Amino acid sequence: MANSSSATPSFKVVLLGEGCVGKTSLVLRYVEDKFNNKHITTVQASFLNKKINIDGKRITLAIWDTAGQEKFHALGPIYYRSSNGAVLVYDITDQDSFQKVKTWVKELRKMLGREVCLAIVGNKIDLEKDRTVPVQEAEEYATKVGALHFFTSAKLNEGVEETFLSLAKQMLAKSEEKEANGNLSRQNSLRRNMLVVTDDEPETAPTKSCCGAGGA
Amino acid sequence: MPMQRSYKYIMYATKQPSLRINQADLKCKTGCGFYGNADWNGYCSKCYRNQMEQERQKRPRHAQSQPPTHHGESSKAPVPPGFSKFEEKKKQQTDKKSKYLKSLPVFRKASNVKDVGKPEKHVNVRQTNPDADKLMAEFLSKYGHLGDDVRKDFLKCIQLFTTKLLNEMETKPIDELAEMAQKYYNLYNSRINSYSIYTELDGDVRIELEDFFEKYSMVNLYTWLFCPSFTNDEEKDLSIQDRIRKLNWVNAHHLDCCISETSLEVRDLVYAAITDLLGMDSVKAPQEKLQCVVKCCKSVVEVLQHCQGGPVSADEFLPALIFVVLKANPARLKSNILYVTRFCKDSRLMQGEAGYYFTNLCCAVSFIENLTAESLNMPEQDFHAYMSGEVTTVSAWDSALVACEGMHQLCEHLALLKMLKERNIAIQDEKQELMEDMKKLKEHIFVRVSSVLERTPLIIKPRELPLPLTDDFESSTGSLMANVALVTQKMARTNKDKSKLNLDITPCISLPPEDGDNERNKVIQDQLSPFNDTQSLDGLITPEENSILGLSKVNYDIDFSDLSADNSMAEALTPEKKCSPTPSFTPDPFSPVGTSCTITQQPLIPFSVPSQISTVLEPQKFKDEFVIPFLEDFSKEKHEETLLDKVEFTPTSNLPPPLNPIKPEYSGFSRQGFKIPNIPCNTGDLHSLTLEPGTSKQE
Repeated sequence: MANSSSATPSFKVVLLGEGCVGKTSLVLRYVEDKFNNKHITTVQASFLNKKINIDGKRITLAIWDTAGQEKFHALGPIYYRSSNGAVLVYDITDQDSFQKVKTWVKELRKMLGREVCLAIVGNKIDLEKDRTVPVQEAEEYATKVGALHFFTSAKLNEGVEETFLSLAKQMLAKSEEKEANGNLSRQNSLRRNMLVVTDDEPETAPTKSCCGAGGA
Repeated sequence: MPMQRSYKYIMYATKQPSLRINQADLKCKTGCGFYGNADWNGYCSKCYRNQMEQERQKRPRHAQSQPPTHHGESSKAPVPPGFSKFEEKKKQQTDKKSKYLKSLPVFRKASNVKDVGKPEKHVNVRQTNPDADKLMAEFLSKYGHLGDDVRKDFLKCIQLFTTKLLNEMETKPIDELAEMAQKYYNLYNSRINSYSIYTELDGDVRIELEDFFEKYSMVNLYTWLFCPSFTNDEEKDLSIQDRIRKLNWVNAHHLDCCISETSLEVRDLVYAAITDLLGMDSVKAPQEKLQCVVKCCKSVVEVLQHCQGGPVSADEFLPALIFVVLKANPARLKSNILYVTRFCKDSRLMQGEAGYYFTNLCCAVSFIENLTAESLNMPEQDFHAYMSGEVTTVSAWDSALVACEGMHQLCEHLALLKMLKERNIAIQDEKQELMEDMKKLKEHIFVRVSSVLERTPLIIKPRELPLPLTDDFESSTGSLMANVALVTQKMARTNKDKSKLNLDITPCISLPPEDGDNERNKVIQDQLSPFNDTQSLDGLITPEENSILGLSKVNYDIDFSDLSADNSMAEALTPEKKCSPTPSFTPDPFSPVGTSCTITQQPLIPFSVPSQISTVLEPQKFKDEFVIPFLEDFSKEKHEETLLDKVEFTPTSNLPPPLNPIKPEYSGFSRQGFKIPNIPCNTGDLHSLTLEPGTSKQE
């Protein structure tokens, strides 16, 4: 609803990635522009809103942090349902975390299809010397799955802004594209997050029986 | 019910081992290629709808128990046997419930209303719900100024919505009702934004109205929509509750959660979070429930801030929330979650804090439902042991609570013990002081005593003093002088007692010879006269406290007293005396060391044990007979006899007390130096004593 009718459309961006790859640092750097924990005033870094301007349009990014522990992996669908974008973070010094990103990408593509905008982020480039994930491999993979790819350093504040900005642009474009497609599809996107409705049949029943006509 | 459970068991058995969602699990069970959903029995929305539609159509025609036949129609993929069973069961259940529903008065009314007309039903709803009345009043006070048009339109929409939902309740599954509700929310939203009567309202008021619409309608319909009897929500509630109860042994450590369970402050914060979560069940509107979740989660964030500081990331937040949910075990948790997901406005759940926190709560519940040994980082065996109750550990949380109480008691007890210890130390100190005091006193007494003792031995010197006297007297006994010197030396060495012993004897012996000399008698008498006064001293004498004053003089008394006291004894002994040469002569025999001497001495030797010296005899017996006989004795010649008796007595009576001896020394020595040699031999050295008799005998 927010991204359709209200003045500032809101996009839900979910942060995914293995534990300790820097998801929280990344979002804190982006929202608060701070890295060191001591200076951060935010009580909780798991849910943050960021208002940005893109080409004169104000949009709100609702960034959802997720628990990265392996045991919580199965909870992913609950987190990322009905999200407009996902930031998949890996640690460039940790090959495993990159593999994890791949699984996330697969899962997201299956669950949310092409509608979700993906941004793969190689974090911790301040540790370039310890890099184990080759740049080429990562970028090739990102292109293959149709995702953006960035290298960032939350510590040095490199590439963070660009990542979210690019993602926001893509999401905005997607939503406008969707909007252009018509009301029905838009309404579908508003379907209850618990049940991703892929057809319009349920709506026909209520509209028939209810006094929707009167309302309109 | 049992069937349901068995189904669940199968589901758990097949699904639980892997937390990851497999491709197959996600797909629609019909194999149509779309993704399925657990709430649609594993079908995708389309297949599920078809299936439900078919069922609905069949229901009126066929018996209710007829199993669903859609598998054959719609599914190409084989359906697991457990599933078909479940499907059948579920259908039976819904049928049963719908039957049950009809029997309920409320629903009968609803169905009646449907036939009769909407207004009546509307009245019904409002009558049965005091909360709705309250909300209505709130609405009037808040939005009454907006005008009758707005109010009327609002109520009209509410009425339409509630009526519609109630009418559809019997025939449609809960999910469709939920979608209907969402649709109505959207309808009212668009109505507010487009309808003429709302055009004058601010954006904020519009949003408020929208929210109020949701709130009011849901409060009205709460009874029917929350944990509806035609769903298995209640069973889900019970199962999750049971599961959480079984997991009561899980602690923060298992969850890699940094909540320190033993800290008092943290405990309070966790309690706050638990209270907030429990409060979710007591409010009715979806947004109110959401608000409870938000409050709970904020408390959790506070807990984490307290425990670790710094911003709380999802990595820490989720485990903590799981912990809180586990410890809270909220009533009707699943029902609440389902109710909110179904009937809360989508936009609210999709975005904003509330949405995020609610999502986390869903995650927590999901995690708890699918929790395995692996997810707790513990061996499978241990997990099963815990779950089956084989191993019953006190959950850390419980034990923390118990420990806190115990700690409190411990603290109190420790304080008490500390106090007692201090008191004990004080007592010990005082005891020590007392000991020292006693020691000092003892030393003091000892010093004083020894000082007295030092003085008392000085008394011995008088012996020597008399010696010249004796020398004068006993010029004839010059040969013995050497012996006397020896004796004195020995006396000095030996204990007083011994010296006394010696002394005792000496006076006894010495006196008689003196008797012979008038002068000496006089002297003695002179000495005695004071002694009469000192009779009392007798008692004093025993302790050595008796000042020197008395000693020299007193000694005489005692000696005499001994003698006198011995009188009684002497009487018995008289025969011996008689045997011995006449007392008057005793001096003489002594000096020459006659046979008489030997006799007297012999008894002395055996009895003259130092210990006996201090025997009781002297004070008790002597006191009584002491003075009087003594004086008399002295005056008379008898005295001499008694003296002799005494000589014999002293031995028999175990030698009169040490005190006495000192006195006799004077007299004895002074008057009869010759006798002394014999005495010292007895008292001083046993050898000499033993020898003496022999020697004396030999002599």
